[in-house]
Amino acid sequence: MELLRMKNKLKVFRALHNLTQEDLAVELGVSRQTINAIESNKYLPSLGLALKISKKFAVQVEDIFLDDDEK
Amino acid sequence: MNSKQYRQSRIVVVFLVSILVALASKLDLAILAIAAALTGFVFLLVVRFKHKIVIDEREKTIREKAAQTAQAVFTPTLAIGALLMILFGQNSIYILALGQIFAYLSLFQMLLYAISFHFYNHKYGAAANEE
Repeated sequence: MELLRMKNKLKVFRALHNLTQEDLAVELGVSRQTINAIESNKYLPSLGLALKISKKFAVQVEDIFLDDDEK
Repeated sequence: MNSKQYRQSRIVVVFLVSILVALASKLDLAILAIAAALTGFVFLLVVRFKHKIVIDEREKTIREKAAQTAQAVFTPTLAIGALLMILFGQNSIYILALGQIFAYLSLFQMLLYAISFHFYNHKYGAAANEE
């Protein structure tokens, strides 16, 4: 089974809201390493966490997480 | 205390408990070994509950993968070790007995895997094929 390759704009949204990785991690109830891993595309978050992130920034999930093949 | 500090303190506690257990076995004091193991266990439990250590989904994924890798390496090693001991240890009753213990352990591990696979397969919707 081939996993979908994703990229994301989490770092951009975090910067727009003046949040550090630690701040965002505390608000989402995850570790700072998890935020860092998501930003550097090393870890694909669960649907629940992706929804939490999109809710936090008041945008749609697909505004933050994008299919890597999308042009 | 964050997750990293908790992990570090856990390593220290396990190290200290191991030293105490080794010392207890050297001195033939079973009570010391039990007390050390229990104290370490209770200490880590209290720290974990008091500081509300966050184990997030990424760490859970890492743990799952680590457990999977450990299982994938350990079971065949145990089984092959058992086979070699039984085949080539006919002259020594101790090696033969150890081989048999290893064989039963690998069987037990496979059984445990099968049971947990069955359990999680049902938990995550194997029986929910009907509409």
